[in-house]
Amino acid sequence: MLAPKRIKWRKQQKGRVRGKATRGSRVAFGEYGLQSLERAWITARQIEAARVAMTRHIKRGGKVFIRIFPDKPISKKPAETRMGKGKGNPEAWVAPVKPGRVMFELEGVSEAVARRAMELAAAKLPVQTRFVSRSRGGL
Amino acid sequence: MTTRVILEAQLRTETGKGAARSLRRQGYVPGVIYGHGEETRACKVNTKELERLLTSGSYESTLIELKLDNGDTPRVLIREVQVHPYRSEVLHVDFLAVHRGEKVRLEVPVRLDGVARGVKEGGILEHLRHEVEIRCDPDQIPEALELDISELGIGDSVTVVDLSTPAGVEILSDSSVAIAAIVPPAALKVEEVVEEVEAVEEEAEPEVIGRGKPAEEEAEEQEQ
Repeated sequence: MLAPKRIKWRKQQKGRVRGKATRGSRVAFGEYGLQSLERAWITARQIEAARVAMTRHIKRGGKVFIRIFPDKPISKKPAETRMGKGKGNPEAWVAPVKPGRVMFELEGVSEAVARRAMELAAAKLPVQTRFVSRSRGGL
Repeated sequence: MTTRVILEAQLRTETGKGAARSLRRQGYVPGVIYGHGEETRACKVNTKELERLLTSGSYESTLIELKLDNGDTPRVLIREVQVHPYRSEVLHVDFLAVHRGEKVRLEVPVRLDGVARGVKEGGILEHLRHEVEIRCDPDQIPEALELDISELGIGDSVTVVDLSTPAGVEILSDSSVAIAAIVPPAALKVEEVVEEVEAVEEEAEPEVIGRGKPAEEEAEEQEQ
């Protein structure tokens, strides 16, 4: 699973995912992309599940690009613990995603294969998505 | 050589976000025409016609004859298109007016021709650079630069220097930049390794480089 190697602080505040993705909203590396239409925290597990679903479908051909990185630690209090006594321990890593963000890209496969692979990947994610291609330039 | 298209446009006097939004509601895309030694003019074009042009192929290298409502017909290139981050909606378009005999700098797409030998052997084609910057006369703009990759084997790559350019076209991009490469199919092998590594990774916490309290100290604090 994806996670940072070195961090400055173990815990972060929640924050809010505001606005639309003004950067990273176009297909940049591959030919096809999977774009988020909603805002959410995508966990490292979800990213990994989507990646595995895609690579299994495209088999040996093609290349997958992951354009989001889970660099935000999410802490959680243990079960059956009373409130207080400080912030819980870091339990997961997430990538805050805004609407418009291209999360995955594919290259070296036909459009039909890419569409199906993205469909399988989208099923692993907590957001509505759409399939985008470089040739249509976001249209 | 240059692809030519005729597009109708109307000059507009109303500017600003309110006017732009109202134009979009009426089925127009606000735009602007500028060029060397020209006064900048605001215009609007029909959304459907513009979208047809933008999705028809390489619009960056298409020379457009704008038919303005005042009878003027400047020759323009599309310099920039602003598209909504996630809706299929063109927000704004920039037209660059070009003049005969005055060279222009622009990016043209690179098209890969043929099926590489390495791909037939099981390799993966990586198209690393999709566009290159060129300088040429507006009448000599190639629709795309073609590159034959049928002889490429696994581990081979082609760079900007391998591109054959038509007469009068000068490539400005760095000649050593790779355009395409054939890489060995490592996807499956990598996946196996990754799955093994995962078990270890899940346990390991990243190294803290800040001035925060060490993890152990914090854990002790929580226990108290």
